[in-house]
Amino acid sequence: MTCLYRFLLYLYPPSHRREYAEEMIAVFRDAQADVGLGSCRERISFRTRETLGLLAGAVQEHLRIFSGRSPMISFTRYDMRPEFRFPKSTVFLMSVIFCGVMIAMKEASAVQAKYGSASDSMWRTFPGFAGLTFSFALVAVAIVWAILFALGRTGVHRLANIQPGLKQE
Amino acid sequence: MNSLPLTEPVLLVLLSLAEQSRHGYSILKDVEQMSEGRVKLSTGTLYGALRRLLDEAWIERVEEDESPRDRRPYRLTSRGRRNLQLEVQRLKHLTKLAALRIARKEA
Repeated sequence: MTCLYRFLLYLYPPSHRREYAEEMIAVFRDAQADVGLGSCRERISFRTRETLGLLAGAVQEHLRIFSGRSPMISFTRYDMRPEFRFPKSTVFLMSVIFCGVMIAMKEASAVQAKYGSASDSMWRTFPGFAGLTFSFALVAVAIVWAILFALGRTGVHRLANIQPGLKQE
Repeated sequence: MNSLPLTEPVLLVLLSLAEQSRHGYSILKDVEQMSEGRVKLSTGTLYGALRRLLDEAWIERVEEDESPRDRRPYRLTSRGRRNLQLEVQRLKHLTKLAALRIARKEA
């Protein structure tokens, strides 16, 4: 359960993890040791409460950072490039995607009207197609995340802060 | 966290720290004990509340050299104590009002 707990902590923003992860894990271990002596029902209740608490807490922390209501934001790794969190171009891209979806829906209606019954067989294969697309999307997201994570580890993003004129003493 | 009333978990966390400084697990157990087992905080809820209270300077970390990093104690600040007193006064007023209304209805 501690492994799952550690994994779920990755859902929190990095600033929160850096500040509280160690404490949270220690408190969780103590609480788990307590519950370990209790009944099966208590253990299930404890695990459910912890999992839901972490999920809700992670969402709240992200919302807090996104809404920018707290000075704690300055602890995040991407402060050097604040626009990285939510670039203005995202609004434009989202609008483009939305228009694309609307056009696709309109085209799909036209195709259905044109081919009628032939589209029935198409719908039979739709779940498989949707599953495949979803799997590809997951793999793509995992690859992008892994690249960003690896870059973050190497500290490449900090190179932008180097001032060439300064000499080290 | 700008205004009262407080949520029950936050109120209980503040009450837990009113008497003495405590670390996370001690707060968790004290809240459960105070509420007679009715309120069981998850670590996610507890540290969400602690983070907000720290942000608003209602509580602070007690810097002790000997305390390990995963067991850092927290204590109320004067601001936190003042706000807790205000909340308790509000609850007292509400309880008094409720008792009066109920007594009037029964009479």
